[in-house]
Parts: sequence; structure tokens; C-alpha cells
Amino acid sequence: MDMEESDAELVLRVRRGDGHAANLLLERYIRACRAVALAVTGNDADADDVCQDAFVSAIERIDACRDPTRFGGWLLQIVRNRARNLLRHHDVREADLLDERTVAGGHSPAAETELSELRERLRAGLAQLSETQREIVLLHDLEGWKHGEIAQWLELPTGTVRSHLHHGRRRLREILGNSETER
Amino acid sequence: MNEPEPVDLSLLDPERDPHRWAVLMNATRLRVAEAVLRRSREVDPLVLVSHWARPILAAAAVILLLLGAATVFGRPGSQVTSQARRLAYLAESSTLRGQAPTGAEVMAAIRPGQAR
Repeated sequence: MDMEESDAELVLRVRRGDGHAANLLLERYIRACRAVALAVTGNDADADDVCQDAFVSAIERIDACRDPTRFGGWLLQIVRNRARNLLRHHDVREADLLDERTVAGGHSPAAETELSELRERLRAGLAQLSETQREIVLLHDLEGWKHGEIAQWLELPTGTVRSHLHHGRRRLREILGNSETER
Repeated sequence: MNEPEPVDLSLLDPERDPHRWAVLMNATRLRVAEAVLRRSREVDPLVLVSHWARPILAAAAVILLLLGAATVFGRPGSQVTSQARRLAYLAESSTLRGQAPTGAEVMAAIRPGQAR
């Protein structure tokens, strides 16, 4: 029943002090927030920090969301701005080395090293796409969003989203293919 | 346009490490709960009063019904009848403009000997 509640209804409930509604919005958007944060920052630790800070900030100033039906787009813009500010204020930290160690679990050290290398190649490949391409590729191919949903929240025409996805995927395949042959 | 096959990005899935994801979610939920609580403590008094508009209008409707009954069954031309008529007029105009009547308006309506 909760899932059928629109963003606008949940936003109005949050404005009336309903914490449960805020949690429903969190569950609905946290992964997308993280994908957008990852697309901008390029590393897990910063993406985690940014998506958490941005969501809390959105709840704190939810009265500023002029059109509650467009909460998703408004929220993702806050995430994007926070992520860009973070990049401006500090050089991308080397925390991912630590992250990779903490991620380990259930795999042998050799397998974990291989996974870690694969992850690093994916990140390096994504880093060569434009920020918009990265967002669209992550939202579509990792988060499973549809073209129309991405178009709505990124405020882009659906055709542009399809085009970015097409070129982003092709470029990513080329990059990963090249790095494979270089190995 | 021949769509290229998607690249498997599941290695970047934040829930691949459930512990780390749970820590992030729990910390975020906690901060969100604090933010909602903080907001509710800082609610604008005008917003609070606006939430009372419906109960006030409902109470006015009940009073209207009671006074309407008094009008029907009361003596014509009595003070109660004219007060009821003024209150009925006030409730109707308040409902039409979508705002609860002010205290001054209600006092004016029930003041004895007040002609409309």
C-alpha cells in the first residue's frame, strides 16, 4: 500500500512531521542517490557520504521542494551539487584502498584481488565517460531505471537519454575491451 | 541504432557488501529521523493554526445546525433567532471563502441586539 503512495503524498506527510514517510522516500531513492553520487565522485566512500548528507539535507529543507510531484529530480539535483562541491573541496581521497579491504568477505584473497581489479577497471572505464553518460549508464544498467524515468528525473528528452546510454555503453565496452587486450 | 549490450556493473552494486550497506542505511535513517523531529519542533505557528481550520469549520457547522434548529423551533423575532441568523450567515460566508471565522467575527455575530 505504501509503495502506491506518490512522492507528492509522501512529501506532504514529511512536511507534517511523519518520519515513516521520510523512510519510504529514503528506500525509494537511496540507491539512485548513490548511483548519481558515484557517477560524480567516482569512489564508494565519497558516494556513501554524499548520498547520506544530501538525503538528510533534502528532508531538512523539504519545504523548498516547490513541486512535490518532482521530488525525485529535486533530490538528485541536491546529490549532484553536493558531490560536485565535495570534489571541489578536496582531492579525491584514496579511501577506496581501504574500502576494498573492508568489502572482502566470503572470497579467497586471490579471488578478492581479482574482483577488486575488475571493480577498479569498471570505475576507470566509467571515469572516461561524461558525467551525464555515467549517471545514465549507472541508473539504467545498475539500478534498472527505465529510459522514461531517467528522462523525467534528469529533465532530459527520452531520445537524449537513449543516445547517452547508447554512446556510454559503446564507449565503456571499447575501454574495457582495450584494457582487456592490454593485460 | 543497434543497442550495445549492457556492461555488467554488478560489481559496483552497493549491496554487494550487505554489512556496509546496512550501516549506511541505519545511519541515514537515524539522521533522517532526527531531521524530521527537528523540523516538527520548528513548525511555523501559522502553519499550525492552518491545520486547525478544518476542525473549526466542522465545529461551526455543528453550531449552525443547532442554531438552525433554534431558529426553526424558537419564537420568531427573538434574540436567539437573530443571533442564529447572523451565525448562519457567518458560517456560510466563511465556508465560501475557505477560511475559519475570526474570533472578532464570531463575537460580532453573537452580540445581543446586533442588527445585520
